Amino acid sequence: MYNLFRFFLRYHLFILFISLEVFCFYLTYRSQKYNQAAYSNFASGVSGRMYESYTGITDYLYLRKMSDSLVNENAALRQKLIESKFDNLVDSARTIDTTGRYVQHFTYITARVIRNSVNQASNLIYLNRGKLQGLTRQMGVFNSNGIVGQVIGVTDNYAAVMSVLSKDFKVSAKLKKSEYFGNMHWDGINSTTATLEEIPKHVPVKIGDTIVTSGFSELFPRNIMIGTVKKVMMKPDKNFLDITVNLSTDFGNLSYVYVVKNMRRNELQLLDSLVKRND
Amino acid sequence: MINQIPINLLRFIFLLLAQLLIFSNVNFSSFINPYVFPLFILLLPFETPRWLLMLLGFSAGFALDVFLGSMAMHAAAGLLIGYSRPFLISIITPKGTEFEISPNVYAQGLTWFVVYLGVATTVYLTFYFLMEAATFLNLFFLVLKVILSVIMSVAFMLIFLYLFSSKKQRRFV
Repeated sequence: MYNLFRFFLRYHLFILFISLEVFCFYLTYRSQKYNQAAYSNFASGVSGRMYESYTGITDYLYLRKMSDSLVNENAALRQKLIESKFDNLVDSARTIDTTGRYVQHFTYITARVIRNSVNQASNLIYLNRGKLQGLTRQMGVFNSNGIVGQVIGVTDNYAAVMSVLSKDFKVSAKLKKSEYFGNMHWDGINSTTATLEEIPKHVPVKIGDTIVTSGFSELFPRNIMIGTVKKVMMKPDKNFLDITVNLSTDFGNLSYVYVVKNMRRNELQLLDSLVKRND
Repeated sequence: MINQIPINLLRFIFLLLAQLLIFSNVNFSSFINPYVFPLFILLLPFETPRWLLMLLGFSAGFALDVFLGSMAMHAAAGLLIGYSRPFLISIITPKGTEFEISPNVYAQGLTWFVVYLGVATTVYLTFYFLMEAATFLNLFFLVLKVILSVIMSVAFMLIFLYLFSSKKQRRFV
């Protein structure tokens, strides 16, 4: 007993050091396991206010860029209006009952980015919308250029988003031309490129081909822009192509984003749980 | 000794804001992530007891973590340099040197400071980047990132030191 006591007395600094380090590691890797949501609830509540006032100041520096992107977005939306489409339906005898034919599947909530980073191994984005505005975890986020990430934690008024530039982020993507789909994730180094995997070798892929979301996950609707093919590699020992994708979103310059709300999410999850139970 | 507390508190707030609003916000490159924040731990008075160094390193790192959303990675790295600072100082300082209360660039000289900051920042950033990546893969990328980030961090730290150090050559007897 005396020896034990003397041991503690002699190495008390080292023991303090080791126990605090272990505590740090516990916090860090526990939070990664739970998709980093544990701390975002705490951290984004504390720091969200500070970042919001800071962005309030710096936003003035980017007003021109921001209005440019909003004008472009407006133009794109205007093209989608029914007035901008030519009606070439000739068969006038057949009437289509439009009421009840289309049901809203996705709605979009606008949000402003109040904090952003691109240089870390896992980058976080904070938004000025939260639980009270209808955000929950596992919602997709995109802007007019392409996909941005996925909500991983919400407080009352703020949300933390895991950016595409995170080592844990995965999204189901497809080639727009041939509809072949695969998994896309970030390679961890360059903030403008990502890797698309699981496209079979026989699929013709050309540099410059468009990559869009597949709509297979509940995060994003179909055909949201992701990027273009930058490089295609064929390795003899693998059955799949290694495709490097040029991301169309400029992560260094995010201001306004859209958060996807999937109205059919509960039903999809119910279906998932049914399938799993039958296994 | 008492007036060391407001000076260090002020330095803590200044470095935290500089780190958050400038260095972690400006997008240099994916290879260059400068961190000036460890300077707070490195400039604490020489006489600070070791347990206090460790606790300050830990809590200062944790404050940065809360704002950067990196959970306890900076806390772990700050704790490490708080723990290893006395070793480092005793290794690089010649025997019989007279000390001021705190490390001062005019008293210790530029060479001493470059070595001191260089080694401490390398330890800090290597530990932090390893924890962040959570893997030893991509070792070349990691080494390059550490080297470039250390050079930039030390450069910014020296600018800070020359701007804010007091020139008075008051020896601590």
